[in-house]
Amino acid sequence: MQSIADNVGGAISYASLARKNRSKDIAIASLGIFVLFIAIATLLALFIDLAITGYPRLADPEFYTSFPSRKPLQAGILSAWVGTIMVMVVTACLSVPLGVAAGLYLEEYASKNWFTDLIEINVSNLAGVPSIVYGLLALGLFIYTFGMSETVLVAGMVLALLILPIIIVSTRESIRSIPSELREAAYGLGATQWQTMALYIVPAAKPGIITGAIVGLSRAIGETAPIITIGALSFIAFLPESPISSDAPFINFGWLTSPFTVMPIQMFSWLSRPQADFHISAAAAGVVLIVMTLMMNALAIYIRYRARSR
Amino acid sequence: MTAMNQPKTTNEFAQKDARQTPREALDHWYLEPDAALRARVSNLKFWYGNGTQAIDDVSFPLVEKKVTALIGPSGCGKSTLLRCFNRMHDLYHGVKYSGSIELFPENENLIDLDPNVVRMRVGMVFQKPNPFPKSIYENVVAGLRIRGISKRSQLDEIAETSLTQAAIWDEVKDRLHQPALSLSGGQQQRLCIARALAVQPEILLLDEPTSALDPIATAKVEDLINDLDGKVTVLIVTHNMQQAARISHYAAYMYLGKLVEYNETSEMFTRPMCQRTEDYITGRFG
Amino acid sequence: MSTKHDGHLHHISQQFNSELSQLKAEFLKMGGMVESQVQHAMQALENNDYELAEQTRLKDKEVDRMERAIDEEANRVIVKRQPTASDLRLVMSVVKMVADLERIGDEAKKIAKFAISISESETGALGSRYDSVVEAKHISNHVVAMVRDALDAFARFDTAQALRIMKEDKLVDQEYKSAIRSLVTFMMEDPRSISTCLSIMWVLRSLERVGDHACNIAEYVIYMVEGEDVRHRPIDHAEKVVRP
Repeated sequence: MQSIADNVGGAISYASLARKNRSKDIAIASLGIFVLFIAIATLLALFIDLAITGYPRLADPEFYTSFPSRKPLQAGILSAWVGTIMVMVVTACLSVPLGVAAGLYLEEYASKNWFTDLIEINVSNLAGVPSIVYGLLALGLFIYTFGMSETVLVAGMVLALLILPIIIVSTRESIRSIPSELREAAYGLGATQWQTMALYIVPAAKPGIITGAIVGLSRAIGETAPIITIGALSFIAFLPESPISSDAPFINFGWLTSPFTVMPIQMFSWLSRPQADFHISAAAAGVVLIVMTLMMNALAIYIRYRARSR
Repeated sequence: MTAMNQPKTTNEFAQKDARQTPREALDHWYLEPDAALRARVSNLKFWYGNGTQAIDDVSFPLVEKKVTALIGPSGCGKSTLLRCFNRMHDLYHGVKYSGSIELFPENENLIDLDPNVVRMRVGMVFQKPNPFPKSIYENVVAGLRIRGISKRSQLDEIAETSLTQAAIWDEVKDRLHQPALSLSGGQQQRLCIARALAVQPEILLLDEPTSALDPIATAKVEDLINDLDGKVTVLIVTHNMQQAARISHYAAYMYLGKLVEYNETSEMFTRPMCQRTEDYITGRFG
Repeated sequence: MSTKHDGHLHHISQQFNSELSQLKAEFLKMGGMVESQVQHAMQALENNDYELAEQTRLKDKEVDRMERAIDEEANRVIVKRQPTASDLRLVMSVVKMVADLERIGDEAKKIAKFAISISESETGALGSRYDSVVEAKHISNHVVAMVRDALDAFARFDTAQALRIMKEDKLVDQEYKSAIRSLVTFMMEDPRSISTCLSIMWVLRSLERVGDHACNIAEYVIYMVEGEDVRHRPIDHAEKVVRP
């Protein structure tokens, strides 16, 4: 009987066959490394270019503690980064509970029928809708219909709407990835659906949910279009009211209704000025924004790592 | 109940008559004279959401504080039947039951009860060890927490008794607050049994509890099940017939969703009443 | 439930089938050996054939060797296959029946020894010796047939035949008693034949034991097929078990 080795080996031995197959592996790996290198190099070049251009302003501590100014060398980003943080807080407070609750409902409670299928498809599609459309929606709904003004609250709301689909989808994904054995174990002990969710499913899915939320927020932090659409100001020479006051009840919500600016808008407005010095400030602000985004991503990685090692 | 609970046989040859001709299925069972019933399945039928009927007219008794094994080839409906006992199927959409699983002495039909109540009363251990990703201690007391018990001393006491009962106390007593997932597979499975025992279930269901374990871990789990004989009513599904012969007191052989034979295990493995049981347990099946 | 005689050929595992067939074949071979051993011993006694008696005596070594081999084979089957139900009963019965066969072989050896000692003794009075051997010959034909039928019943899983053998054992007992009586008569008539007659009595005793062992084998055949133990119980119990 002729062996397979003989059949194949007429022209080539197993050794050369293995070598040939391995060279394919190496080719694919090299291609991957090359593509990866291009992507990282581009990003790095951009970042380094921004950092070099913006260095004069980045190195100036006053840059971080000054309000915008007509004089390029005195213009700072204080109101911008404070505004960004405040808007992010509002966005997070609105989108995370809403998104997680919606994800939980769709994954665990909703019965599977054509209607929930429709909702599911729409939620996925919403994640791909251009952000300017959300801006127009907010303009029409919040500002014109409800008569709200262009405040921190409205900006937070529009960004929350923008990242809601991301959070819903990532919540559903991380709940779906919980093995059904865990679910059955909880039900098998006599747990109700709520107990199963609250005590076992959500804690187990927490890392995934938090990661999804942070990924959503780091998208929101760089969004300009919807905020410009609702008419955020680009020149704010004052800070919103402090959320903590010295007299009772120590917390106040005045900041929610104050006008604001955010980092991307500040950059945009500087870039649209003719003076070259403002472009330096814009570059510096860009570096700060990138660092803020990277820090949020690092936080997401840290949370995931900690949850996994536990 | 009286009809079925009658002595195994009054006339020695009555039983022999039943064995004389190979039969397709039995319409009555022989139980030991002092056997008390914990539950009785009567004409149970079950359909999955997609309309397939997985259990067809199954009737058999579940004897109090004895281990009963469900055996049969893959897909014969034995796991499905087991899961009827704690209404696990109700987690999925569109399932349908008919017939009854009567619980004694309450005379309640398990099928008519609230599934949550049923699961509080009937514990289950799964094929794959599935401890919660929490500490060993939290796993054992999970069922108690679900029932709203949170007094520390009470939890500690029950944790120790059930871990001891599950023959794992000595191995974990110094590391109760370490993650349960750090245990070996066999230890995890015994932990899951302890978790089920902690809430003192009326019936304990075991779904192929050793199929994912190595022979040593299997032997330990089997020992533990042997210890439960006489203390807890156990219903176990197993693919391993030697295992069924080793640990069960009564055995039910299922084929294609139907019950073929219910018998004392020692009888079934030395002289089964039905030809089809004989063919299956001697490996002539197919 | 009854087990068909070729039941052990229908396992999913062909290897298991052949192991059981092998066990069965070895057992039947050993049965044939002891059957001819008894026959030869009686022939030697009848014909005063020293050579044949010596051969028969030595044949016992071979039978003992087969007993060990069959037991080992049965052990292997149990370890490898963990037989259940009818398979378990087959293996267990073979293990027990082999012991009976070996004892039959021992009895044949004893008869052969008497044949040797009688052939060596000069005192044997030919007349009475011939008569007493005829008595023994009659019983020996009967018990050898029983052994053969028992092996047959085993080979064909024939419980009806096994039941017949159990009944025959009663007849053998009666024949044994009447043969003893006529030997006593010979001894009273001719005191010189006493030592020969005593030897023949031991031969009769051995033959009666062979019949008992054949009966035991028949009981195991019923157990193997029907799953019901009929030993040490009135014969009508066995009759009810075997009822066609």
